[in-house]
Amino acid sequence: MMDLAIRDIRNDLSRFILTAAGLGMLMSVVLAMTGIYNGMVVDATVLPDIYGGDLWVVQKDTQGPFAESSRVPALLADRIRAVPGVERTRSYMTLNVQHQMAGGETLRFTLAGLSWPDDLGNALPLAQGRALRQPHYELVADRALGLPIGATLRLGRDDYTIVGVTSGMVSSSGDPLVFASVSDALRIQNDLASEAMRLERESRVSRVRRSELGRDPASLARAGSAAPLPAVAPPPVTAILVDVAAGSDIQQVKATLAAWPDVSVYTIDEQRELLVRGVIDRARRQIGLFRALLVAISAIVMGLIVYTMTLDKMLSLSLLKLLGAKQRVILRLILEESILLGLSAYLVALLIGELAFDLFPRRVLVQDIDRLALLGVVLGLSVVAGMVGLRKALAANPNEVLAS
Amino acid sequence: MNERLGKVVLRATNLSKVYGEGAMRVDALRPTSFEARAGEVAAIVGPSGSGKSTLLTIIGLINPPTTGSLVFGDRPVITDGRAVVNLATMRRQQLGYVFQRSNLIPFLSAEANVRLALEIDGVSSREARTRARELLDSLGMGKRLAALPGKLSGGEQQRVAIARAMVHQPSVVLADEPTAALDSGRGRQVMELFRDSAHAHGAAVLVVTHDHRTLDLVDRVLEMEDGVLHEKQPA
Repeated sequence: MMDLAIRDIRNDLSRFILTAAGLGMLMSVVLAMTGIYNGMVVDATVLPDIYGGDLWVVQKDTQGPFAESSRVPALLADRIRAVPGVERTRSYMTLNVQHQMAGGETLRFTLAGLSWPDDLGNALPLAQGRALRQPHYELVADRALGLPIGATLRLGRDDYTIVGVTSGMVSSSGDPLVFASVSDALRIQNDLASEAMRLERESRVSRVRRSELGRDPASLARAGSAAPLPAVAPPPVTAILVDVAAGSDIQQVKATLAAWPDVSVYTIDEQRELLVRGVIDRARRQIGLFRALLVAISAIVMGLIVYTMTLDKMLSLSLLKLLGAKQRVILRLILEESILLGLSAYLVALLIGELAFDLFPRRVLVQDIDRLALLGVVLGLSVVAGMVGLRKALAANPNEVLAS
Repeated sequence: MNERLGKVVLRATNLSKVYGEGAMRVDALRPTSFEARAGEVAAIVGPSGSGKSTLLTIIGLINPPTTGSLVFGDRPVITDGRAVVNLATMRRQQLGYVFQRSNLIPFLSAEANVRLALEIDGVSSREARTRARELLDSLGMGKRLAALPGKLSGGEQQRVAIARAMVHQPSVVLADEPTAALDSGRGRQVMELFRDSAHAHGAAVLVVTHDHRTLDLVDRVLEMEDGVLHEKQPA
């Protein structure tokens, strides 16, 4: 039996191609939404994935650096290292920086600290250059920042040189990531003007005098020598990352640390879960709903297209029925056209994805499973749309041929 | 009886069609009986609204009659107004149709339009192609096989439609005003084709027509008036 669907398509190929292209563009948006969602998850989990660490120790009763503000003293790391089963600790901190370039351009990025010398950034996906070699004044920046190796940035009162460029390292907010040693990051975060520092020192001395002078005889002796007091308290970090020694039980170490009254402890998987289910949950659900809406719109559009295509063929369908064609001939004609239209649109969507998704400002990550899922959706939509057309087609009346 | 004519291929007995009831009742076709023989070309003439098309749709197994029976060859198809076999199968195997407008499928070539009548009945593509080409060639369409209907003239389209109606060797071919859209010369050519094809393939051809100029080419003339069919001698 000749393939009526192919012949019908060939007869008006340009119309079919244009229809498939339009539908393909609609489906490419569905694909893009999926890719944006995946990209959002990957971007959100870049930092925990790069830093690793079996346990994340954060401020008591907070959910950690990705969910809310957390401040723990940097010296907490020394205390944690004394716990049996702990092999290594690293300080973790990030801060958002908006930097005005000399040309007036504004650079916005997330600065993340690497715990020198334990962590030099060797785990970073370097596209160019190298990891940190010095404890100060070196940066590893993501390509999205647009600065080459050797470029310098003045942050606070110091110049920092970019020594490495990563690829695809952005924060959950989409800003490019820049890595420095924790001490440099803290210095940049807590940079105070000289006058501010002088005023703070005076304030601290005054507080000490008010609180202790006269109550403690020894303080009288110290009253005249307040200068050794630090101008400001040692700056806190956001979290302490704990690597548990091989052979030790992570849960046991976690339980030990969690019993301390001043910290909360999470495994890295719990941090990831908090990110995906908590921090980006609204965005995730929004994209999910938008994607569902697009699929519904695609279904309606496709149903209308197939219905219209069927209407255009009603006389031919009536004629086929008059000639005694079996219902499966009509069924095949309508369904095959619908499926071919869906598959063509799907290929157009894939092509658009290949050509355009890399140009998006944020990561659009389309995986094979997403392509397969879209193929399944497209085939489902094609069948449903075909059924809409088929319902009309099977109602074709042979009498219409005589009346025409 | 004409010696060239074969056995009876269609026997209609007391066929009638009534629309509506009571005061709204319309007798579109009053009880009508007739026979058609293989190789015979019969013209059905009559004024508009006389019931010609109603008769054609009943014989064409598109509209069920209110009463009466239809037998194709030896096979009862409609008995007491009810179908006793699969009508789609009967249409596919025993009937051919030609219309005022050719009603070819616009996205199929001339050859494919003819092949279709065979392939929907399960004939292999290879055999269908051979038979379609032979028949179209015999109708002078051998060089227009690949042309789409939109590229064919009205006369060419009717030749393709006749080929489609004849290619599966039906016992009855029904034609509804097949020459109405053609000039007199081409109309006559088409009627000659009907006659020659009917004779060659042994089909009974029933032609509903207003065109009295071609009645000399048919074997019988049946006149329909107010839903009643009368036999007339051809001019």
